[in-house]
Amino acid sequence: MTIYRSHSSVPRRWVWLVAAALALSAGPLAAHDMWIEPTSFLPDAGKIIGVRLRVGQDFLGDPLPRDPALIEQFISVDSTGRKPVYGRDGADPAGLLRVAEPGLSILGYQSRPKPIVLPAATFNQYLKEEGLEAITELRARRNQTGSEAREIFMRCAKSLLYYGTPTDAQADRALGFTLELVAERNPYTLRAGQDLPLSLMYEGRPLSGALVVAMNRANPLAKIMGRTDKKGRVTLHLPQGGMWLIKAVHMVPAPDGANAEWASFWASLTFELKSDGTGVAAR
Amino acid sequence: MRCAEPRPGSMRVRFMMWCAAAAIFLGSAAIHAHEIGTTQVSVVFQQRASYEIEIVTDAISLVEKLEALSGGTPQSLRSAAAMQVQLQTFDEVFRRRLVVGFDGSAVRPAIDYSVSGVTTATSSPVATIRLRGAVPQGARRFAWTYSWTFATYSLTVREAGTEAQTTEWLEGGQSSTPIPLALPNRPPNRATIGLRYLALGFTHIVPNGFDHMLFVLGIFLLGRRLRQVLAQVSAFTIAHSITLALSVYGIVSVSPRVVEPLIAVSIAYVAIENIFMSELKPWRLALVFAFGLLHGMGFAGALKELGLPRSEFVLALATFNLGVEAGQLAVIAAAFLLVGWYCGSRHWYRRLVVVPASALIACTAVYWTVERLGL
Repeated sequence: MTIYRSHSSVPRRWVWLVAAALALSAGPLAAHDMWIEPTSFLPDAGKIIGVRLRVGQDFLGDPLPRDPALIEQFISVDSTGRKPVYGRDGADPAGLLRVAEPGLSILGYQSRPKPIVLPAATFNQYLKEEGLEAITELRARRNQTGSEAREIFMRCAKSLLYYGTPTDAQADRALGFTLELVAERNPYTLRAGQDLPLSLMYEGRPLSGALVVAMNRANPLAKIMGRTDKKGRVTLHLPQGGMWLIKAVHMVPAPDGANAEWASFWASLTFELKSDGTGVAAR
Repeated sequence: MRCAEPRPGSMRVRFMMWCAAAAIFLGSAAIHAHEIGTTQVSVVFQQRASYEIEIVTDAISLVEKLEALSGGTPQSLRSAAAMQVQLQTFDEVFRRRLVVGFDGSAVRPAIDYSVSGVTTATSSPVATIRLRGAVPQGARRFAWTYSWTFATYSLTVREAGTEAQTTEWLEGGQSSTPIPLALPNRPPNRATIGLRYLALGFTHIVPNGFDHMLFVLGIFLLGRRLRQVLAQVSAFTIAHSITLALSVYGIVSVSPRVVEPLIAVSIAYVAIENIFMSELKPWRLALVFAFGLLHGMGFAGALKELGLPRSEFVLALATFNLGVEAGQLAVIAAAFLLVGWYCGSRHWYRRLVVVPASALIACTAVYWTVERLGL
C-alpha cells in the first residue's frame, strides 16, 4: 500500500491555472471523469437538494442532464433502505433528493455501457493516464498499439451525503456496481490531514493493482494517488478540506457480441471533508 | 509534355473525395459520442451576409473554467449578475477557445454575454452568449470549434427566414464539418443585376408586351421620316422614364385598373389618328408625351411584380428602362426593315400599309380597352 502526498508548496492559483490549461487543451475525445455533485453534501433535514451529474476533467465539469436511456441505476441508500432518485428527463440537476433520515446517505449512479471510438494516440495516452498498463501491454502483444480502439464505457459514480451526528458506525457500503469505490471509514468523521482507507471492487470482488486518484476541488492538479493492494484496498492521505473526488478506472477485453475491443468502468466517489475540528458537526 | 494538363474532372473528383471524407468523419463521430451535456449552439445566417451564433450553456461551469484558466480559484456562491460581469471580463480568455471560421480563416465576432436564472436545488443560471459579425465576401464554407465543454453538444445551422436546419453533434474541442454556404443565395454582382434587368426590360416589350409593341408601331406608321419617328420615340421615352421612376419610388401611384385601360385607349387613339392624319402635328408630340406618362406607370407595375433588389435599386431601375428602350427600338428597326425601308416612300404606302395596319391596331386596342375595363 502506498500513500502519496500532495505538493502543497505549489501556489493554489498556479495549480488551478495549469490544471485548467491541461484539462481544456486535451483533445476533444480524451477520456473524461464523471462524478456526482449534489447541491449540498450536508443537507438540512427535509430540504430538497439537487443531485447534479458532472462530466469533465480535473474537477472542471459540465452538467449531464438526466438521460433515461443512459441510466441503469440512480439510487439513494440510507438507514431505511434503497430508493430511486427521481428527476425530470433532460433536466439538470439530473435528480432530486430529500434527506429525511439522520446519518450517511449514499447516492449511486450507474450508466448503461456506451460505445466510443478513440484514435490510437488518444487511447494510448488515456491508458497511461489512468494507470492501465496491463491493457497497454496487451495491445502491444496483439500488435494493436497503432490502431484505433473501440470501447464501451460504463459510469459507476457514488457520492456520500451527511445529515446528523457523524459516527464511524455509519459507513459507506457496496451498492453492487460493476466497479465500485467504497470508503472504509465515514469521511464525515475525518478532518483535513487524515487518511481515508478505501476499497475497490470489480464485479463484487476486490480489485488489486488498480490506480486510485483523489483530487480536491480547490487544488485539483495536486493528485493523490495510490494502487490497491491484494485485498483491493488503498489508503489516501487527504491534506485539505472541501470537496473531494476519488476515482478509479478499470478495463477488460470486451465481452463477445459487444462490438468493441475493450470495456471500461469508471468509478468515482465524492464527499466533503471538514477542514478543521473533528469532522463535520451536525447542523 | 512538361506539365500535366489540368484534368477537367479534377474539381469534381476533389469534391467527391471531400464528401466521402466528410461522410466517414460524420459516421465515426456518431460512434465517438460522449455523454450529451446541456450546451446548445445555433447559427443563423442572414442573407449569407451576416451571422449570429447563440451559445446557451451552464453559467457556473463556464465561469469556473474561465476562472481556472485565468488563474482564479473557484467560488461557491455567485449571482447571475456577478457571473455576467465575470464573463464580460473574461472576454479575451473566452475567445481563445472558440473559432468562427470561413474558408479556413478565423474571424473575430462581436460578443454579448448575458446570464439569467438563480442557483437553487432544481435550477442553475444559464449563460446566453451571442456572437455576431459579417460573413466575408465570397465565403464558401463555415466552420465552428468550441472547446469550453467536455460533453457532447448540438450545433444547428440555418438561414434566417427558413425552417430547414442542419444539426451536428460535436464534442468539446471538435471542429464542425465545413458547412457550405449556399452559393445561389449569394448576392449577385452589379453587372449580373444590370444585365438581368436590361433583359427583363427588353422582354417586357418583345415579346411579352404586345400592347406596347402596337403603340410603338403606331408611332412608326405615322412618321414617314426618321426624324419624325425619333421625335415621337424620344418624347415617349422621356415621359415613361419619369413615371416609371416616380411610381417605383412610390411618389406617384395610380391603380392598374385605371392605367391599363388608358394604355389601350392611347394605342387606339394613335392608330385612329394615323388613319385620319397624314402629317405629324406638334400637338401629336404632346399627346405622345402624355401617353408615355401612362405607359411608364404600366412599366412600373410590371417592374414591381418582378421585384427590385434593395441594394441595387437605381441600377435595376435604370437598366430596366434601358431594356424597355432597346425593345422599342428593336420593334422600330424590325418594322423599318420589313416595310419602311422598301415601301416607305412609295405612293401606295399610306393606302396599302399605314391605313390597314393602323385600322388593325385600332381594332385590337379598342377590344383591349373594353376587355380591360371589364365591360
